Amino acid sequence: MMLWRQFAMEWRLYSRDRAAMFWTMAFPVILLLFFGTILGGGDGLKLSVVRVQSQAPGPRDAALDQALADLQLKVQALPKAEAEARWSRGETVALLEPEGEGYRLRLNSYLMAQAGATAGLVNQAWLVAQARLSGAPEPLRIPAQVESPGRKRATNYASFLLPGLLGLNLVSMGLFSVGMVNVSYREKGKFRRLAVTPLPKWIFLLGQVLHRLTVTVIQAGILLLVGRLVFGIQNQGSFLNLLLIMTLGTGCFMAFGFALSGFAETSEGYAALSNLVFLPLMMLSGIYFTLDAAPTWLQHAVAVMPLAPFVRVLRAVFNDGAGLAGHGLGLAIVAAWGFAAFILAVRRFRWA
Amino acid sequence: MTDSALRIRGLRKAFAKVVAVDGVDLEVARGEVFGLLGPNGAGKTTTFEIIEGLTLADAGDIEILGLTWARQGREIRSRIGVQLQSTSLFNKITPREALDLYGSYYPKRRDTQELLELVQLVDKADAYHITLSGGQQQRLALALALVNDPELVFLDEPTTGLDPQARRSLWDVVRRMKGEGRTVVLTTHYMDEAEALCDRLAIMDHGQVIATGTPASLISDLAIPSVVELTFDGDAPDPTAFAAKLGQAVERRTDLWEIPTPDPKALLNHLLEAAESAAVPFLQVHIRRATLEDVFLHRTGRSLRE
Repeated sequence: MMLWRQFAMEWRLYSRDRAAMFWTMAFPVILLLFFGTILGGGDGLKLSVVRVQSQAPGPRDAALDQALADLQLKVQALPKAEAEARWSRGETVALLEPEGEGYRLRLNSYLMAQAGATAGLVNQAWLVAQARLSGAPEPLRIPAQVESPGRKRATNYASFLLPGLLGLNLVSMGLFSVGMVNVSYREKGKFRRLAVTPLPKWIFLLGQVLHRLTVTVIQAGILLLVGRLVFGIQNQGSFLNLLLIMTLGTGCFMAFGFALSGFAETSEGYAALSNLVFLPLMMLSGIYFTLDAAPTWLQHAVAVMPLAPFVRVLRAVFNDGAGLAGHGLGLAIVAAWGFAAFILAVRRFRWA
Repeated sequence: MTDSALRIRGLRKAFAKVVAVDGVDLEVARGEVFGLLGPNGAGKTTTFEIIEGLTLADAGDIEILGLTWARQGREIRSRIGVQLQSTSLFNKITPREALDLYGSYYPKRRDTQELLELVQLVDKADAYHITLSGGQQQRLALALALVNDPELVFLDEPTTGLDPQARRSLWDVVRRMKGEGRTVVLTTHYMDEAEALCDRLAIMDHGQVIATGTPASLISDLAIPSVVELTFDGDAPDPTAFAAKLGQAVERRTDLWEIPTPDPKALLNHLLEAAESAAVPFLQVHIRRATLEDVFLHRTGRSLRE
């Protein structure tokens, strides 16, 4: 009864904070819609090259243009002066200019990920163009096939992103809704006011935890619904497994927030500390992109952080319908972090 | 059951750099309004926090309503009311909700409406806490301290930061508590508040109780119940030479001299003569009764506000 009253009061006060509520619920959805759309469908982001127009276009130029177009590369043909001006403004990824008997390709050192891929395509087009000009047989290509890792189905970037956002929500719930709030309660003396009443403290904390849990469930529900309605994403695995994983993650990251709140004296200190934890977790845990190309040591380091294994298991179940059997190690890493954080939270947590 | 509401023996608490409470003994009778008077940093709040169970003492015994923290913590919490120096509530909770919520923590509770009337917050009962004025927030904190119909109430600087009118209305509430038979223990650094509200006082400085008694007895225990003041236009001059000539201690305050005396009438003639012959450029002469401020000054050599 006491617990229910605490829980109901948490919800009542939370529902009055419209801005906080809107952002908790809407922000993940906005991320999903935005990135899912611009990076999502087949031709979302085309690679592009700026091509300096030849003084006197010949058959060689025509053949290259045709080959570039065949490869779906976006080509912008510009006069030399204009192309040069664009290059120096830094807006060009790759600049293709005629030179002597052939061409020269300049790649923007700031944008090497895109420029590298573009250079590959341009060279491929040039090989094809040369073959066509000399009447030789066209070079053969290796056939490529798009499919999801678990071979369940071939879907889009939004399905990659959605489980990552589910994981990220849990982290921000733990670090900010739990950790930050507790530091500010301690700092402002809300805990002290409670401590002089006979209310058992665990009832207050449990009421708070249950409130955050229901918020998380609603948040995940909204995200799944939007994913399904807008991108046609559906859970491919068993809902029971999904629930088990989410429960484990919620416990782990909530304990994380409690533990971290014991290491800061003030809200300002906690804001710095939590961002120090949150930003690397967000950037390096394979939420938005994979770390395949990162240095091996970094990949190893990230694999033993809590979020990356969590998101990997979540993705395997959600996108590829995997069971939990093959993911014991990942689940164990998350559980170990959760356990360590819980122990630390119990030892470091302070009311005043 | 003892007849003391609160009994403290040899209380001590040291922090890393300072001994905050240094051997405090106190005894408060039931039904009494008892004040802890002292400047900021005297150890009043730490003493309160130990009594309220928020801080552990290094040494000393505390008996609250005949109960001890070690064995009857929950019962103590149920029977005392506490107003902390600053009461932080949720921004968007209303007084009515806060009183209902905190009331629900106790086995015995007072009616919310009755409390709202007591602290004159009926009009603001459904306004968000963040929209209340400082005085209204303070009155709500006072109502929260009464939510469990406590026998013993602790108020830590209940009127600090309030305007004179808000202070008066808080004083009325404290007097009504006494009228209802509650024991009230409060801290303050306002001597007028201590004189107006308290049956008995303990004056604290540097973590120690330096005097205990009724306000009247504390003042009359001073051998010098009156003070003659000479006021100046601007800063008062150095009184050393004049004091030697007068044969009497003269204290310099910012724009006046204070001369404590047991017999103001006899001093006055002598003083005016001396002042005239030394050509002291004073503006006015006042004679006033000694106050708790003078008691404090006399005992510590410092003013309460310093």
